[in-house]
Amino acid sequence: MNLPAAEWYDLRDLNGISRLITEWVADWGPDWLASILTGVIGALGVLAIIGPTLLILIWLERKVIARMQARIGPNRVGPVGLLQPVADAVKLILKEELAPRAADKWVFFLPPVLIFVPAILIWGVLPFGPNMSVADLEMGVLFLVAISGVNVLVVFMAGWAQNNKYALFGAMRVIAMSISYEIPVVLSLLALVFFTGTLSVNGIVLWQQANDVVLFLIFPMSALMFLFGSTAELNRTPADISEAESEIVAGYHTEYSGMRFGLFYAVELANTLAISAFFATFFLGGWWLWGLDQWVPSWLILLAKTGLMYFVFIWLRGTLPRLRLDQLMSFCWKFFVPVGLVFLAVAATQRTLLIELGWDPAVALPIYAVINWGIAGAGVAIYARTAASPAQRLPSRPVMARGRLGGLRAARELADAGSGD
Amino acid sequence: MTISLEEYLIVGAILFAIGLYIALSKRNAIGVLMGVELMLNAVNLTLVAFSRFTDTGVALSTQVFVVFIIAVAAAEVAVGLALAMVVYRNRQTVSLDRINLLRW
Amino acid sequence: MSDVGFHLAFWSLSALTIGGALMIIVSRNLIHAVIFLILSFIGVAGLFITLSADFLALVQILVYVGAIAVLMLFAILLTPRAARDNEESLMRYPAMILMGLVIAAGVFVALETDWGPMREGAIGTQAKIIGESLINQYVLPFEIGAVMLTAALVGAIALARQDDEDLPIHTASLIEEGVLPPPDGDAADAPAGPGDDS
Repeated sequence: MNLPAAEWYDLRDLNGISRLITEWVADWGPDWLASILTGVIGALGVLAIIGPTLLILIWLERKVIARMQARIGPNRVGPVGLLQPVADAVKLILKEELAPRAADKWVFFLPPVLIFVPAILIWGVLPFGPNMSVADLEMGVLFLVAISGVNVLVVFMAGWAQNNKYALFGAMRVIAMSISYEIPVVLSLLALVFFTGTLSVNGIVLWQQANDVVLFLIFPMSALMFLFGSTAELNRTPADISEAESEIVAGYHTEYSGMRFGLFYAVELANTLAISAFFATFFLGGWWLWGLDQWVPSWLILLAKTGLMYFVFIWLRGTLPRLRLDQLMSFCWKFFVPVGLVFLAVAATQRTLLIELGWDPAVALPIYAVINWGIAGAGVAIYARTAASPAQRLPSRPVMARGRLGGLRAARELADAGSGD
Repeated sequence: MTISLEEYLIVGAILFAIGLYIALSKRNAIGVLMGVELMLNAVNLTLVAFSRFTDTGVALSTQVFVVFIIAVAAAEVAVGLALAMVVYRNRQTVSLDRINLLRW
Repeated sequence: MSDVGFHLAFWSLSALTIGGALMIIVSRNLIHAVIFLILSFIGVAGLFITLSADFLALVQILVYVGAIAVLMLFAILLTPRAARDNEESLMRYPAMILMGLVIAAGVFVALETDWGPMREGAIGTQAKIIGESLINQYVLPFEIGAVMLTAALVGAIALARQDDEDLPIHTASLIEEGVLPPPDGDAADAPAGPGDDS
């Protein structure tokens, strides 16, 4: 995987620029300056990506959800409402920033800033290209898991410091849910780590490249667990009980106004974007796309896949209703955790067979994929028939629509039956 | 001046002493648990420093030991906090001075 | 081991660790104390990184910051009527003396002992080595640790479980609002529902 030449204008690999700068610094400066400079360039690059992307994503999310709900969405500010996020940001900045008098001052002011730390750090291990990550850690997956656990504490600080019962309820819900759903996320990633034999994020992409397959095809259930577990950790709509507007005003950021609320909101979107990118990396091949990465900049491929995954997140948000806390918990502990453990064993077994017996991956991987899809489908079916709570349970046989003319006639008959007697 | 084993050991000793002080002097049971956690952390720091600097034959068995200590610490905190909650449920307090039913 | 960046990292992380620990003593509020404890944990994780123990640093953040600190916060919030202040008992003076003695002994031992030959280069890939020695050399402690964690899990649940309030929460609240009759059957004394306060 050799880099394109060190011509700085070669946009196919943006890393060329930063490598040029750091090599130039390393020529005359001390080496710690070079490593600090690498970090600064990486952080600035990450900020340069997510800053403008967020503004577009806010607009996109509102438009797409409006489309799904048969509305129009923002259409006043700028062409097709494109400037609406900017207007919102200006409004948030101009708003007065109130702090409750009974709030704990320091703990109240810190969280909007602190919550940016894990949100930015997460991007550090994401490979945008073959050699293009801020820090290609040997233990990138572990880093991802550890850093996303820190988020919980910041949320707790925010919820507790406001001296508001709704905020505290929201924070407790976030903590309970995040801790529970960390287990399926870790189990799903652990299955991937077992199977590919590497803890490095880029290593997983390289494995997919070497075997010409995306891991989504081999581990569908892990992908589902990662997707839904991240949805829960991100407090997005199928699992957004932490800020359920109809129950607890705005969750853990009830008392935050103005740009402080704006920061929480931005970090939520940034985290969603990051998780989309990580899903694309782990399960959809990241910067690699069956050789297309030789012709198109690899980071563009990753961004396209990230956009696809972000659309899936928006789709989930636009479609699914909010679940209750106990439903979420039982779904996590009664379905995801056992199935995750099963898939851990499956992944370990398949890896051992592949490596120790020297099977040909080209033959073995399709068989594995079929087996794993079968196990995943069986797991879903068994859970849906037996263990799910009544609301989630599938009917044992399909329920027929009443009457041949469909819903309207059935409704009319129901109404007649109700009023006639 | 280079930073070597001694500096890490001194930091570990100070951290351990502070943890000891907290564990001995705090009234609140959860505060005492915090002190115990600090002491365990100091021990971990010392062990990792030894594994980094001293040249023993086994490369990372000290770090394996630290992994076990972290596991034990997690178990200890879980049980300790459960105990604190049981005490609270019976006595409406977690202050160690007030939990004196068995005193002489 | 003598470049500026390393010195900077070591001294700032040591200051963070020890400062956080000292602030636990000073801070009156228990939740502030937990937050300073987290700072101290993060400092120790940073020190692990300077010791080129990346794996342990990440495990430290994952377990201590992500789990143990959260558990403590939960425990503090679940004991609502207990005193939230982090005051010290009369043991503080002997404890202070003991702290001074321990620091003196630790510094003396650290400086006066001949620690033998020092390793210069850092250790290589740790996750692999640690994982392999966990399932080869230390498999028995590993299994014992697994059993111990399970026992702690079961024990903590058994301890913290409430037996006298086995009613589901919504049933209890419905009884409280008078929608359901109380389990004893003295429905006449039940508080009236929200509608009929005549």
